[in-house]
Amino acid sequence: MSARNGRDHVLRVVAPLAIGVAVLLAWHIWVRMFDIPQYIVPSPLLVAQTLVADWDILSASLLITLKVTFLAFFSAVIVGTLVAFLFVQSRLIELSLFPYAVLLQVTPIVAIAPLIIIWVKNPDAALTLCATIVAIFPVISNTTIGLRSVDPGLLNLFRMNRATRAQILFRLRIPSALPYFFGGLRIASGLSLIGAVVAEFVAGTGGAAAGLAYQILIAGFQLNIPRLFAALILITAAGVILFLLMVWLSKLALGNWHESELTDRS
Amino acid sequence: MQLIRTIHLAACAALLSLVSLPAAAQAPVKLTFATNWYAEAEHGGFYQAIAEGIYKKHGLDVTVKMGGPQVNGLQLLVANQIDLFMGYDIQSIKVLEQNLPVVTVATTFQKDPTVIVSHPGVKSLADLKGKPVAIGPASDTTFWPWLRSSFGFTDAQKRPYGFSVQPFLADKALSQQGYVTSEPFSIEKGGVKPVVFLLADQGYPPYAETIVVTRETLTKRRDAVKKFIQASAEGWKSYLANPAPGNALIKKDNPQMEDDLLAYGVRMLKQYGVVAGGDAGKQGLMTMTDARWKQTFDFMVKAGMVDAKVDYRKAYTLDLVKEVKVLP
Amino acid sequence: MNVVSRPDQALPADPDSGVVVDVLGAGKTYPDGTRALAPVHLAVSSREFVTLLGPSGCGKSTLLKMVAGLLAPSDGEVRLWREVQSAATQAPEAAGRKLAFVFQDATLMPWSRVRGNVRLPLDLAGVPRGDADRRVDDALALVGLQGFDRHYPRQLSGGMQMRASIARALVMEPNLLLLDEPFGALDEITRTRLDADILDLWWRRSLTVMFVTHSIYEAVFLSTRVVVMAARPGRVLREVLIDEPFPRSEAFRVSQKFLSCCKELSGLLAEAAASGGADPLAGAPT
Repeated sequence: MSARNGRDHVLRVVAPLAIGVAVLLAWHIWVRMFDIPQYIVPSPLLVAQTLVADWDILSASLLITLKVTFLAFFSAVIVGTLVAFLFVQSRLIELSLFPYAVLLQVTPIVAIAPLIIIWVKNPDAALTLCATIVAIFPVISNTTIGLRSVDPGLLNLFRMNRATRAQILFRLRIPSALPYFFGGLRIASGLSLIGAVVAEFVAGTGGAAAGLAYQILIAGFQLNIPRLFAALILITAAGVILFLLMVWLSKLALGNWHESELTDRS
Repeated sequence: MQLIRTIHLAACAALLSLVSLPAAAQAPVKLTFATNWYAEAEHGGFYQAIAEGIYKKHGLDVTVKMGGPQVNGLQLLVANQIDLFMGYDIQSIKVLEQNLPVVTVATTFQKDPTVIVSHPGVKSLADLKGKPVAIGPASDTTFWPWLRSSFGFTDAQKRPYGFSVQPFLADKALSQQGYVTSEPFSIEKGGVKPVVFLLADQGYPPYAETIVVTRETLTKRRDAVKKFIQASAEGWKSYLANPAPGNALIKKDNPQMEDDLLAYGVRMLKQYGVVAGGDAGKQGLMTMTDARWKQTFDFMVKAGMVDAKVDYRKAYTLDLVKEVKVLP
Repeated sequence: MNVVSRPDQALPADPDSGVVVDVLGAGKTYPDGTRALAPVHLAVSSREFVTLLGPSGCGKSTLLKMVAGLLAPSDGEVRLWREVQSAATQAPEAAGRKLAFVFQDATLMPWSRVRGNVRLPLDLAGVPRGDADRRVDDALALVGLQGFDRHYPRQLSGGMQMRASIARALVMEPNLLLLDEPFGALDEITRTRLDADILDLWWRRSLTVMFVTHSIYEAVFLSTRVVVMAARPGRVLREVLIDEPFPRSEAFRVSQKFLSCCKELSGLLAEAAASGGADPLAGAPT
């Protein structure tokens, strides 16, 4: 049984890696065979070289984009969770405000980012606000559902033992909500990154700070496509790492007891 | 005697018809020309040339494709989606680093129409050192480095520019970028009479709205390109005299465009000699000179915007404009 | 032998012991008109083991929940230890007057280990951790789960989870233990073992127990008294005394007395089913 688990683990890493390498190889061969100029599609080798050559510029921009991403993510989690608690406390508040939360989610950030940049003087704050707006809805929605998804049997048990509202909140609702909460986090982490990038794309940056979106824009103007690809790859890598971070956090919190984290063993 | 004369006449007539036959039988050459924004007065000469059939007269069938905020005309050009593209020389020099096979064949504007506008009370660009200036992201690679090296501006002054004049109107300390033909007008409409600094008059060297083609187009369809420049120059001459036909087409392509903005644009183009000033007065509209290109290249090198080893002369050719002479 | 009462008369409570549960005409009709339970008169004395036996829909769980204070009766009232029981108040927790409820599902908190689960009532009541852990150890020993305190619920079998649930009920040292079909989801073998364990617990700790089941065998084996109920509408039919001394062994299960009790109960249930058009499986021993 453990031998099979071990093989499973290895396969889980090797299989997608093999696909990735195959795709990169095919891409490289295609570019070479058809002699495609680098300003249309650069070969993966060239992109890698550009990543190394331009590392100083790109890594500085990566840090700036990540800064906005993390600020937005924390804001979304804190504000979103508070709003979810508010919704659970009062049905009236939930009914009144939930439609606006939905509105926030469906309004394309591309449209409202320029307006936010105009109203909020500080460019960093404006970008963080844009990214927070993009990321906050899954946190609100999932956490609210989670806080409500309490086993009615357990709720009866608590009530029978004369538990206070606070005791029910901390000992029952919050643990019940955790799996949903972490589900929301996984989505929100990626959205924070996307929000940060889109906001910068649309609204630009002020001051000396320039993130990866800016690099992509300028590389586009100058048709420096290898650098554009290199910046894109950095954004993708950041997104994947964020996701893995959330998976790890999820495992820490839920690893012992929730079905989503358990492998098939009794 | 009579017979020889008749035969002579007939021969001449035949020859004549032979000569004129190809011209008549030849279908007009289709060209797509991508501009750099939505249709506006700054593109007027091209629309005029379509409206008045000038392109047709030269055997061309030209389609003008509007640009916009997310449209990358250069990319379309190298992908052969369009034939000619409205570029700018800083970009043309920069992409030599990528060995892009594109070349600039003419320019629409002798002066770059970029301006910095400020609230009343500002006497010169030097006064703006340390004060906030709203500029768009593309400007970071064009005139902002020039402002940094010429007037000591710093990156800390940059504010994001959302192509709206609202923040400027709301904040007396703020300055912003613009085109001489539009933003000052919107600002005046908003109730402020701004101070306008045309960067070109302050020494900013580049051309603007250049005509860029791929080397392949220049080699294989040189004649058509030349005719395009010729016809466009005639179109501009006509537009500056009477913009009505061109404006009608502009409004068709861009229904949001207003008459008063168009009129203002034309007036400013004439007032500042953007199209017809400088070398154009002597050498004809849409002309270029080696001296100006060198100036632009030197500024780029000084500002660290391009590798000094790049051979900037590969970015343009004067051959075609030398053959076109449309005086304003 | 057995005393079969008439339907409209509750059996007299044993005058030597106090009446723990007094159901005075309590019934439940829901706002939409569903009649879950017709008014019931029932008295349970101290140290009795009373089983509520009947098919689905007879209102036995409803009755138990009203006793527990989880449901408010729409008619009548329930008194525990002479105080009126309602959903708002609950049994006063003076010494010797505590009730505990065991649900159909083990209802354990999956994120907590067994120790945390069993200790929950004590934590909610604010009992200091040291005392609480001691009582948890005692309770686990009572149900035979010593050594499993650090397990998570998902690591336990169904039977063990049920034991943990019972341990949790016992940790507050109740006098009145209410169980709502606690072994329904378990297999026959586990159920038989747990039946014996419950009986043992009841005997040793001098508890008063109300036990809901639809198994005739279980009812006969466990109880001092069986309250037979019928469905449509949910109501009490009869009360039947099981006149067999304690402790009862497995031998009782195969004795003549046992079989005749079962037959009697079976007959009652069948009769009720026939007249009321109830569930065709009602009365079939499970």
